[in-house]
Amino acid sequence: MPGWHEATKELQDAGEIQMVGIIQEQHPDRAALFMQWKEMGWPLMVDSYNLLEAPYVPISLALDEHGVIQQVLRPLEDVGELDEAFLSSTFDDPVTGPPPVATSPDLETLRTRAQQGGPDDWLAYGNALATWGPEDRIDAVVDAFSRVVEADPDKGWAQFRLGVAHRARYDSSDREPADFQKAVDHWSAALALDPNQYIWRRRIQQYGPRLDKPYPFYDWVIQAREEIAARGEEPLRLAVEPRGAEFAEPAREFVTLETTVAEPDPQGRVLRDEGDFIILESTAVPREVGFGEVARFHLVFRPIAAKKAHWNNEAEEMVLWVDPPRGWEVESQMLTHPLPPDLVSQEDRIIEVEVRAPTRSLRRTATIPAYALYYVCEDVNGICMYRRQDVELTARIRSR
Amino acid sequence: MARFGWTAGAMAAASLLAGGPAAAQELPPTGFDPGGVFPTTAFPSLEDGTPMSVADFRGKRVILHVFASW
Repeated sequence: MPGWHEATKELQDAGEIQMVGIIQEQHPDRAALFMQWKEMGWPLMVDSYNLLEAPYVPISLALDEHGVIQQVLRPLEDVGELDEAFLSSTFDDPVTGPPPVATSPDLETLRTRAQQGGPDDWLAYGNALATWGPEDRIDAVVDAFSRVVEADPDKGWAQFRLGVAHRARYDSSDREPADFQKAVDHWSAALALDPNQYIWRRRIQQYGPRLDKPYPFYDWVIQAREEIAARGEEPLRLAVEPRGAEFAEPAREFVTLETTVAEPDPQGRVLRDEGDFIILESTAVPREVGFGEVARFHLVFRPIAAKKAHWNNEAEEMVLWVDPPRGWEVESQMLTHPLPPDLVSQEDRIIEVEVRAPTRSLRRTATIPAYALYYVCEDVNGICMYRRQDVELTARIRSR
Repeated sequence: MARFGWTAGAMAAASLLAGGPAAAQELPPTGFDPGGVFPTTAFPSLEDGTPMSVADFRGKRVILHVFASW
């Protein structure tokens, strides 16, 4: 994209062409940061749900003034051809009447039709809601796509879009605990229906294990922010910071680090936090793996706001100890979460850990025991405690 | 950074779709064929969420990029 932008800058400045983008990304504001970094200021539309049904990205098209596709553009070498074949030709208008104006469909009518109809009608309603629904539409979008997949689980687009909606809700203040896992599960269901859908695959890989990654998805964010700041600009803020799997480098083999430290609480003597102060959410990406395959667990530890629970950062780092059962491997038995500079804080803490399934096993499900140790305080100026929270990572091996 | 260009994404898709690297030089089907009107589906604008579509640019010659920043 930046290459295209640079190569056509004069044409853009002369008003001979208009660059437009449609973003196929779960977090579209990251594309906005990318555009700021590369100093590209074209209009962007957001299609996280892939209503366009694009099979992959990037796709570049030359559209004439009537909206007709004149050329599917290959890489930059087509810029020369673009000058001659596209810019110097005249094109007839195949469309009679004025161009369509984006107007809201009648959502109420679509909903009534869905309630009286079938999964296709719910899909149409969900698609319309995704763009035209009210600001607090996410629950309704989840509901509409859920009804499609309940009635017909083989509808891949509904599975994918339901996953997108669950992840969008997970990233909002309306989050429900299992939203991220449901997103992963529905993306996996979609991909099982069409393994060649590149964008569906990428959505899982974004959060998945390193062995399955084609590249680190958002490593460019760090460089982008540095270069934008060096220009004297303020980098656009992101609604959801990329982290963990989204930065992780791809790996060609599963490497386990030898544990050189002693287990921190082998006898289980540290008093438990059974969700009294810190709520734990666990998501496996993917939920099911084949023999010898790897899943990446995302463990989110959230201080309970209603109790004003908060972390105490004056002592050691928070740790996660994982004790895989026989046959299962973990990349590292002990993982830590760095302490922020403030003495106390209330952030969500995320620890990601990869586990590999055995190459042979009679059991299809394994519970991988783990526990976290942390310092947590109750209320403002309240009591601070050292607590242990037991974690069960449930991993499944899919049937052949 | 090659993934930001056509080659990494679509070549990989071409390879995936065709089952091997030998076909990687071919442009895989986009679903958007020359001669057809590009869909006028509306999407929220990134700027403020207002629905807009490619039809809003009628009268201009457009280079349209369907992309992701990863």
